[in-house]
Parts: sequence; C-alpha cells; structure tokens
Amino acid sequence: MSDNNIAERVRGTIYQASLCLDEARWEDWLGLCHDEFYYAIRAFSPEINVDMTYLDGKRADMVTLTEMLPKHNSDNSPLARHTVVYTVDVDEAQQTASAVSSFTVMKTELDGINSHLLAGESNVFLVGKYRDQFRIESGEPLFSERIVQLDTRRLDKGSHWPI
Amino acid sequence: MPARNAKQWEKVPGKLSSGEYVDSRIYSDRDIFEEEITKIFSKVWTPVCHESELPDPYSFRTMTVAREPVLVVRGADNQIRAFLNVCPHRGNMLENRPSGSFEEASPSGAPKHITCMFHAWQFDMKGNCAHISRATEGYQDRLECKDVGLRRLRCEVKYGGFVWVTLNDGIGQTVEEWAGGAFDCMQKSLDAEPLEVFHYHKAIIPCNYKLWHDTNSEFYHDYLHYHNRVTGFNDSYFARKNIGFDNGHVNVGSFEVQYDEYEGFESREELSFPHLPTNHWEMIDFFPGVNFNLRGSALRCDIMTPLGPDKVMIEFRGLGLKRDTPEERLTRQRHHNSIWGPFGRNLHEDLLAVTTQQATMSEWADKRRILHGRHERDADGDPTIHDEEGMRHFYEAWGQWMDRWPGDPELSYEEGQKRKAA
Ligand code: FES
Ligand SMILES: [Fe+2]
Repeated sequence: MSDNNIAERVRGTIYQASLCLDEARWEDWLGLCHDEFYYAIRAFSPEINVDMTYLDGKRADMVTLTEMLPKHNSDNSPLARHTVVYTVDVDEAQQTASAVSSFTVMKTELDGINSHLLAGESNVFLVGKYRDQFRIESGEPLFSERIVQLDTRRLDKGSHWPI
Repeated sequence: MPARNAKQWEKVPGKLSSGEYVDSRIYSDRDIFEEEITKIFSKVWTPVCHESELPDPYSFRTMTVAREPVLVVRGADNQIRAFLNVCPHRGNMLENRPSGSFEEASPSGAPKHITCMFHAWQFDMKGNCAHISRATEGYQDRLECKDVGLRRLRCEVKYGGFVWVTLNDGIGQTVEEWAGGAFDCMQKSLDAEPLEVFHYHKAIIPCNYKLWHDTNSEFYHDYLHYHNRVTGFNDSYFARKNIGFDNGHVNVGSFEVQYDEYEGFESREELSFPHLPTNHWEMIDFFPGVNFNLRGSALRCDIMTPLGPDKVMIEFRGLGLKRDTPEERLTRQRHHNSIWGPFGRNLHEDLLAVTTQQATMSEWADKRRILHGRHERDADGDPTIHDEEGMRHFYEAWGQWMDRWPGDPELSYEEGQKRKAA
C-alpha cells in the first residue's frame, strides 16, 4: 500500500473518532484504539508555568471511565468537534504513523443551565490540538496514543467526557 | 404535606427557626453584592497565589482582589511584596502578563525594574519609583520620584507558602490572628517542608460565590457524587464534624477514605502529606471565599474572586511536595485531577449543581428560603458530617460583617437576633 493510502486512512480514522466522540459512542471510539492505547488531556499554564496533565489513562482506564458515566451527574449538553488534520507522517516500515490535528469543541447547551432560556445556544468550549500516534496493522491504523493539548484553560464547568 | 399554595410557600417550613435558613436574595441582590465587596472582600486577608509561583528574585504574579489589580513580586532580597498593579502617573496597569520576571528589560524599560509601558516610569522591587521620564523638564521641582512610589499592600507568606494580601492597611490582625486557629488541623502537614503548585485552572461560573462556599462546606450533598456514595458512607465518615473558628472559618475533621471502593481508584497511602495519617482528609472553609482541602496525597486550594451577584471566578490549585520525583508528581496529579480536575469525577458535578442552583435565583426572582437546618447527631450525641453547622457558622460571621440578618437581609443583624430570640 502506498504511504498516501495509509495517510488517507489515518485521516479517516481521526475523523471517525471525532464523529464517535461527538455522538458519545464511547465503545465505537475505543474500538478505534489499540490495546496499548494511552490518552491524556494536557495544558500549559502561563500562570504557574507548569505543564499539566488534567486527565490521563490507558485504554482500560478509559473503558472504566466511560462505563461509569451513567452513574454520574453530568452536563449533557452535546459537544461537537470541528477537527482539521494538519499533518500525517507514516514511518518507512508503514507500521506506525503520527498526526497533528487542530480542533474546536463547540458546546450546545441542553441541561446544564436554565434550559428554557439557554438550551440550544452554541458556544466555543475548547480549542486545542490532537497529537495522535497510530499502529498500522494490516494496513489499518489504530490509535496508540492521543494527547489532547488544550489552549483553553478557562474551563468553567469542565466535563466528564473524553475530548 | 401536599404541594403548597403561595401563602404556604412563603411560610417557614416545619419547625425550623430563624438562623436555620437564609433568604435567597443574599445570593442575587446587586446592592448586597456591592456591600460585600466593600465591607468584606476589601477588608480581609486573602491568599492570592503560592510562593512556588514566584520561583526566583524578580518573579511576579498578577491578580485581582476586590476589583483592585494586584501585583506580587519577589525582590532581589527574596522577600515577596505586594502592590496595587497601578501606575501612579496616569493609572495604567503596570504589568499585564499573568506571570513572568522583571529580570530582563522590557521594551520600554530597564532590566530589574517594573516599567509602565505607557510613559516608561520605572519602579524597583520594593515599590520605590526609580525613574520618571524627562522628570525635571516636565515637573521642575514640583514632583519627583520620592513622591510617586507604588501603593504597597500588606502581604504575608503563611501556611504552606501561600501569599496572603489585604487591601486593608488597618486590618489590625496578622494572617495567623485572622485564621484564629482554623489551620491547626493541617498546619503541621503544610509547614513540614516546601510545597509546590502542580495544577491550576480557572472557572467563571454563573453563581454567587457563597453558593460555592456553601457547597464546599456541606457534605450532605454526598448524594450528588457517585464517588462519595461508594467511598464515603461508613461510620468513620459520618464521625467527621464541623468545627467553627472565629471570623467565620470552619474545619471539617479527619476520616479515612475507602478509595478501593471506587473502581479505578487506588489508595493514596504512599504519598500522604507529612504528618497526615494515611488516606485522611482535612478541610478548611476559610471566610469569606477560600477552601483548603488536604486529602491524602494532594492539597487543593480554591480561591474565589466574586465578579457579580451571580458570577464568580474560582481558581483551582493543586499542590504537592517540592521534592517530589517526576513519577511521584504524576501520581499526585492523577490523584488530584481524577476527582478535582476540570475533567475529574466530582468537580464537574459540584459546578453543575451550583449553576442550576443559581438558575432559580435570578436577580429579581421571588425570595426563597434556602435551608441549612440539619442538626444530625450520632449515637453519642456528637454532630456528624451531615450536620449543617458549618454553613450556620459562616452565615453568623457574614451577618455580623454585613450588619444584615441572613434570613432576612432587610433586618440588621441585631434585629434579626432579637427576632430569633423571640
Ligand atoms: S501611565 Fe504609567 S507611565 Fe504614564
Ligand atoms: Fe462536592
């Protein structure tokens, strides 16, 4: 398979993941991830000059986290990503790839406020980059790592959901 | 009782007495809010940052206290000092970045000086004016550097290295006196060795600052949190008490958290703070809007900056020991953020609840009674964690500072007390 084809598949996988996350289809999202998958949400704080990891875990941790969601009280306002894949680099042996994407997460208010007045309103919730690593197995890319690097640090209510 | 009509709704429910509820207008009224800024927030000591955020001589941090911009700097002598972040010339903000260093020159000024970019007046780390551009040409002998020092603020570094500031020159109390013993429960752990901030994020929430303070003070809302429902409900948990201190501070006593009960959570044992029994939890609700929460391996500190009757900024910090190895730090970070981070299990639930709570208390909404009348005792007659003494203690202090009765803010504190006695 040509590098271009693999790069195209990597792009497709990133967009698939965005759709799964937008629609809160956690199992489908994790289905795109390798057993060794590692996930982290990070940000740099210019206030305290520290690189911070707001959330991280292996695949099993993300499974536990997403399965626990129905037991938690959450703001259920849907989050929709606008993702653009900027770069995809496939290694020579075509076994791994890495990609950088830019994303904006919009939140459309539903139930985290006075819904009569505010439900339906969309606002920017998060801005940042996805820094993804892939394992390519029989031509199919699987996420082995996703670092969500946030620019946004005024996080207000925050979220229970993977970004 | 079935659902109530308007008249019944207005009555105090059951046999609750005055002092066991507040009037919702204290969370929504603009005049009361303005009064809180002048009568309370501009008068008290408040922590504004941690010393580890000012690592070297010439490091600075900026913040806002009771609407006033504040600049905190570490001098060449390592002393931390605080000033109004306001230029004495034409009132420009001296420094706009959240943090940084004055060691290097700025575009308008010399190294090792605070320079106002507007007309390049310069100040040293002690707040002395060091340079006025074309001073004699413009002012002759009518105004010199010695006339235009910065406005210095009282500042102390205390309790685990927090930097405390007050706008009130005449406060008449040190930070320790103002704390009135509230830190006794964790001071040994905080002062055993230097601490370091590893986490910071902020939230601007459409709620009154007191609703956040209430939520930090009352544990009856364990029902909100799945994490608490499965880790907290045991005898030692209920044996915790609220202890009130002078000036409205409250301490919630220690107990052992059963972390293993929540899938995916490990015990915090090995990284417990010095002198803190393993997996124990101590909390201080510090008047009027600060919370210190030492839970096993991490210290959390919330600092509130009220922005309006229905708007507050909350800064969340997490701290560990300065000597942590990178692995230890990462573990502490996980412990802290898995519950209290912006994507953690509990913080989102707490912030969601105060948002929807304020949603019923818009500025001109009908007045409501917000209850805090639980007196819950254990078999020995001691108050338990679900007793609401903590909030009652806070509102007693609030009423005295404001000279208003929290249950009916149109009454003076004294009138309210008389009515309570009657
Ligand atoms: S306003 Fe600061 S130098 Fe003029
Ligand atoms: Fe809570």
